[in-house]
Amino acid sequence: METEYILELKNVSKTFGSLLAVDNITFQLQTGEIHAILGENGAGKSTLMNLIYGLYKPTSGRFFISGQEKQLKSPRDAIANGIGMVHQHFMLVENLTVAENIALYLSHFAKDKRHSHQIEPLSRYNKISQIRFKKDEAIRITEDLSQKYDMTVDPRAPVGSLSVGLKQRVEILKALSVDSRILILDEPTAVLSPQEVKSFFQILRALQDDNRSIIFISHKMKEVLEISDRITVLRNGKKVYCGKTGELSPQGLAREMLGSELTDIQKKKSTVIDEPVLRISGLSVKGSQEEIAVNNVSMETCRGEIVGVAGVDGNGQKEFAESIMGLLPITAGTIQILGKPTINTQDIRRNGVAYVPEDRQTTGIIGTFSIAENLMLNISHFENVATHGVIDQNIKYNTAENMIKTYDIRPPHPNLSVSALSGGNQQKVVIARELSTDPELLVAVNPTRGLDISAAQFVHQALLEQRESEKSVLLISTELDEVLQLSDRLYVMSRGNLIEATDYKDSIEAIGLLMLGESIPNEL
Amino acid sequence: MNYSSMLEGNSHIKNWPHLKNWVVLPLLILFCAFLTNTIVIFFCGYNPFRAYLAALDVIFGSPRGIGETLVKSTPFLMTGLSVAIAFRCGIWNIGAEGQFLVGALAATWFGTKLAAYLPHTAWIGIPIGIGFSIVAGGMCGVIAAVLKITRGVNEVISTIMLNYIAINLVSAMVDGGPLQETSETGPQSNPLYAWVKLPRFFEAHRIHPGIILAVILAVVLTYVLFRTTFGYRLRAVGEGPEAAQAAGISITRNTLYVFFLSGALAGLGGAIELMALAPHLTKNFSPGYGYTAIAVALLARLNPLATVASALLFGALTQGAFGMEAEVGISGKITWMMQAIILMFVVAATSLNYFQTKRHSE
Repeated sequence: METEYILELKNVSKTFGSLLAVDNITFQLQTGEIHAILGENGAGKSTLMNLIYGLYKPTSGRFFISGQEKQLKSPRDAIANGIGMVHQHFMLVENLTVAENIALYLSHFAKDKRHSHQIEPLSRYNKISQIRFKKDEAIRITEDLSQKYDMTVDPRAPVGSLSVGLKQRVEILKALSVDSRILILDEPTAVLSPQEVKSFFQILRALQDDNRSIIFISHKMKEVLEISDRITVLRNGKKVYCGKTGELSPQGLAREMLGSELTDIQKKKSTVIDEPVLRISGLSVKGSQEEIAVNNVSMETCRGEIVGVAGVDGNGQKEFAESIMGLLPITAGTIQILGKPTINTQDIRRNGVAYVPEDRQTTGIIGTFSIAENLMLNISHFENVATHGVIDQNIKYNTAENMIKTYDIRPPHPNLSVSALSGGNQQKVVIARELSTDPELLVAVNPTRGLDISAAQFVHQALLEQRESEKSVLLISTELDEVLQLSDRLYVMSRGNLIEATDYKDSIEAIGLLMLGESIPNEL
Repeated sequence: MNYSSMLEGNSHIKNWPHLKNWVVLPLLILFCAFLTNTIVIFFCGYNPFRAYLAALDVIFGSPRGIGETLVKSTPFLMTGLSVAIAFRCGIWNIGAEGQFLVGALAATWFGTKLAAYLPHTAWIGIPIGIGFSIVAGGMCGVIAAVLKITRGVNEVISTIMLNYIAINLVSAMVDGGPLQETSETGPQSNPLYAWVKLPRFFEAHRIHPGIILAVILAVVLTYVLFRTTFGYRLRAVGEGPEAAQAAGISITRNTLYVFFLSGALAGLGGAIELMALAPHLTKNFSPGYGYTAIAVALLARLNPLATVASALLFGALTQGAFGMEAEVGISGKITWMMQAIILMFVVAATSLNYFQTKRHSE
């Protein structure tokens, strides 16, 4: 292989405050290769891509494009240097036609002098940037491009009328219209059906034949193995593996991705009482796009146990939790709490269900309310702080101060607006409020996200106390360590399906494969 | 009751942001508005300082002037409270104007027709008249609430439309309609029966008990909003609907409450104005109180207690306009302009605040 890389990053780091998101990464992209990046949520994949695309400036490190050192100050700079990005959420104007979208994108760059000398074909397209928009020209350009790469799409169709797969094609065409040599694809297959994935891979191969380089970010092992030439694995902001595809088995890759060092938690033996607190059968729920988010799920949780649900973000966990709390309508199935079917959120709350939502900012707290007010944001608290509907200020502040002390919320001022707190302390407010109601069932989604280690341990301890006092906990988390350590029974959620995985608790590879939507080979 | 604590709903922290939001910012808004207004008056060819002196004289120069200011502040206060409650709870009720008129219309219907069949005493006439206006105004809000809850109709649009309905309903009723005066000489209703009219404190002044009622309501509403679970629910639904829902607070029910409460306050305002001051209900009963109320409430940062101060200012502006017109010859329209200028600065300041918070949270 040639020694000159089309893109090379040397010792690149990026910090956000005290968080080291990308830690001293060196990365090389060869001309004409498809390079997959694997990693868990928060492993630093997105940060790394945003660094390459000029959205973030690196804290330290150097960039080389075709051997020349560059500093990318903005996406505009990146595009001018031949880097294109297809975001997971498409950046298209739905009301405009395909050709108009491409013309819109082109018009930003065709006039750019820095740009036009680097990218030869653009001079051809100069007319498009003139004040009068030339429709025929735009359609011709679009047709040229789509023929060249065999990506059939009607230039005259409004983008809003296209399927997701076709919209993605438009995004790729956009990047190709300015002759991007490097394409970053952020989870491109997440939105595609299996058939669409097939034709999408054909497009990738055609691009590869045209000597373009592709960075392919994915959670899905199978697709990565099928399409990529090389694989880089990130974990906690560090590059932990880089090698040719096929060098490492899927199990090996899963181990690299998830890590295997587990910190031990003091966990007493608990006696599970065979009395279901939450019983779900045949539950199906639709997501915000009318897609099936939760698919025919049946499970139960009993007194004295923590039931863990592991899985990669966005596989239906949020919808699952929301439907249990009565916040999302269910399309099929039943949910029973303490033997009674649930009616609405008020009823579920009154039956002693506590909830730590995934989205802290909008669902967990009210930013304009004070800490004390947020600490009573659960109708189960109202009876304690108020008599005949009048809030007793002394009780309100005393309980708030107690919770602040117990959960070490800082700064410890009950009257401070909760939006002034750090994310970790806001999460402590939510946890304090929900656990202090002494719930029968706690539904917790990513309860330790954003917490430092000691605070996370505190939350873990609190969950275990719930279990010891013969209450029930449903822990839905993308932190695999957390789920493995705490739960008595384990499920994995993947594409809306809930898979019983208690038997695989000791095999991190098997769990990893389940999370990635794979089946488990016989030897595991 | 600790007033500064009521303003923010808390009692311990007294620091710079508090002072900035409640004292410095409103004063700055008023200063900018007066400055702009001064420039406009100057370029219209008048002496602004003579104009202001005349205004101050007619506002503060006599007990009568002060009394008139209070009288003129009352409709601003009632509609201002209506808007403040709604906005505070996340409901953009622009319908205070219509609700004010419908309240007055209901009181007129009762006061010129039904009251004849009841015992002729103020102890019965006044409470029932007020009750009619509360229900009518409240129901006017509930229409918008039902549209919003069942069909997702944006309340800004529905309440504006309801304003037109209310304005034209009043016209239809008093101009050739069933409520027109018996002599049918003009587009106005019969005068209310004497036992439905609010009494006055003094023979020569127009000061009436409605003013006191409005101020009491402001205090009660502040208490309800910040010290009861009912108010807590309303505020939670307004400021964090998703969090409120997850906490088990019903969005539907509380939205309905807010619409009714907001409409009822404006409707009551209409009844007070009619029963205390107006001889009849006329076509142009409200000079746009319900719209100005938005400026009143925003200047008070949507706090019911602060709305009292803000309403007094707008009452004083209206009263001051008489002085400017009588002594300097400036058109009374200047007041309306002044109110609009204040509103613009209020909105500008609010968005300024908004951007600052945005930046902090990043």
